[in-house]
Amino acid sequence: MSSLLRGALVQLRVVHALALRETRTRFGAHRLGYLWALLEPLLWIGTFWGFFAIAHRQAPDGMDVVPFLATGIIPYSMAMQTAEKGSQAINGNKALLFYPHVHTLDLILARGALEVATLTVVLLVITGGWALFTEGFVLDDALRVATGLGLAGLFGMALGLVLCAAGVMTNSVDRIRGPLFRPLFWISGLFFTANAIPTRVREIMLYNPILHCVEMVRDGWFPTYHARYADPGYVVLWIVGLAFVGLTLERKVRSKVQLT
Amino acid sequence: MIARATPGWAERLQRLWAPGDGPSSAAPPIDAPGSIELRGVTKVYRTHAGDHVVLDRIDARFDQTESVGILGRNGAGKSTLLRILGGAEQPDAGRVLRHGRVSWPIGFSGGFNGSLSGEENCRFVARIYAADIDYVVEYARAFAEIGEYFRMPVRTYSSGMRARLAFGLSMAIDFDVYLVDEVTAVGDSSFQEKCVRAFAERRERSSVIIVSHQLGTIRKYCDKCAILRRGRLELFDDIDEAAKSYEAMS
Repeated sequence: MSSLLRGALVQLRVVHALALRETRTRFGAHRLGYLWALLEPLLWIGTFWGFFAIAHRQAPDGMDVVPFLATGIIPYSMAMQTAEKGSQAINGNKALLFYPHVHTLDLILARGALEVATLTVVLLVITGGWALFTEGFVLDDALRVATGLGLAGLFGMALGLVLCAAGVMTNSVDRIRGPLFRPLFWISGLFFTANAIPTRVREIMLYNPILHCVEMVRDGWFPTYHARYADPGYVVLWIVGLAFVGLTLERKVRSKVQLT
Repeated sequence: MIARATPGWAERLQRLWAPGDGPSSAAPPIDAPGSIELRGVTKVYRTHAGDHVVLDRIDARFDQTESVGILGRNGAGKSTLLRILGGAEQPDAGRVLRHGRVSWPIGFSGGFNGSLSGEENCRFVARIYAADIDYVVEYARAFAEIGEYFRMPVRTYSSGMRARLAFGLSMAIDFDVYLVDEVTAVGDSSFQEKCVRAFAERRERSSVIIVSHQLGTIRKYCDKCAILRRGRLELFDDIDEAAKSYEAMS
C-alpha cells in the first residue's frame, strides 16, 4: 500500500470518528438537541413568512413561499454556519490535537460534514412537511440542488479554515467576523432572486459566491425558476483560492498552537 | 545588482509547503517497530521576554523494547519533548523518525472531552487508532475501576479518576512505544502496582519512554536514563550514574 493511500485511510478514519463525536457534543447536550437544529431555521422561515404575508408579497416566478425561503436560508447556513463552526475548530477541540494524527483540517472536515448533513436533512424535513399541506413535493433537478448545497458547504469549510488559522495568529478574527459576514444575510438572495434585481445592483451582488449557491439550489428545486446568472465555476474558484490560503496559513501556524 | 538578503515570498511559500512530518508519520509500522530517532531537534518558544530555547539540537535514538526515563526539573522541557516524540507538536528544526505506533503522551487528563462520558471517550480513541472498540472499552473499564462514573461525563471526574481512565485506555491499545508523562501521582498504591504490572507485561514487546522529575519513578520503571537540562539531552546507560549527575545539579 502506498503511503499516500495509507495516509488517506488514516485521515478518513479520524474524520469519521470526529464526526461521530461532534454529533454527540453538538446535539447530545440538550434533551431537544436534534430538534433545535430543525427549530432554528424554522423560526427564520416563520418570521420572514410573516413579513411576506404582511407586505402582501409573493415569492417570485411562481415559487411557493415556504420552499422559496427554505432554499435561501439552508444554503446560506450551509456556508456561514460551517464557516463559523470551522473557525472555532481549534479552540473548541484543543484536547483533541493531543492525538498526533488528529489535525486541524480533520476537525474542520468533520464539523463541516456534520453541518452539511444536518442542514440537508432539515431542508428535506421542512419542504417535505410543507408538501403534506399543499399540492405535493416538487424537486426538479436533484443533482443541481446537490451541487449548490455541496459548493456552499465546501465554501464554508474553506472559509472556516482560513478564519481558524488566522485566529491562531490574532484574536481580532472573532471581532471582525460579525461586521464582515452578517451583511451577507441580506445580500445572498434569501428573500429575492438575482433575476429580479436591477442590472447595476446585480453586477455587484454577483461577486458574492453564496448568492450563486442559492440561485443554483432554487434553479434545481423549482421547475418554474431558471437562474440565468448562477455560475458554479465562479464558486469553485473561490473555494480553491480560500483553500490555498487556508492550508498555507494552517501550515504556518501549526507549530504555534499551544496545547497546554 | 543587489543580492537579496531575505527570501522572496515565492521561496518562503515553497519552503512552507515542503514535505514534513505529516499525518502519515503516525501511521503503522514500517521496520523495526518501537524505535524513535531524533535528529537535531530544536524547539523555541517565543515569549514577550524574548526567545526561549526549550530543546537545543537534540540527537537521540530510543530503541525497541528499551524503557528509558527522562529526568528533568520542572520547566526543563520534558512535556514538550514528549509531545514532539509523539508528533502532536512539530519541532522548529530537525526531524523525528518514528517506526511503529507511538502513543499520545499518557498523563493526567489530556485528550478527554468533558461533556462526553468516559465510555464515549474510549470509543472515540479506539476508532481513531483502528482498535477493537468493544475490547478497548471493556479493558479500560476494568482497568480504571471507576464504577458508575464510567458512564458519566468526564467533567464530573476527579483528577485521579481521569488519570486512571487515561492510563487504562492507553494500555488497552497496542502501541509499539508508550510515552508517559509523570506517572507517579496516579492513584493509590494498589493502582500503582497494577500500572507497574501492566508496564512489565508491555515491555516485552513495546518500548516505554517516561518523563519525570523524580528519580524514584525512573528507577521503578526504567532500565536506562537520560537527563534533560538547558535544552540538551544527556544519555546514561546506568541509572546510578544518572542519579549522581542529577543530584549534583541541585
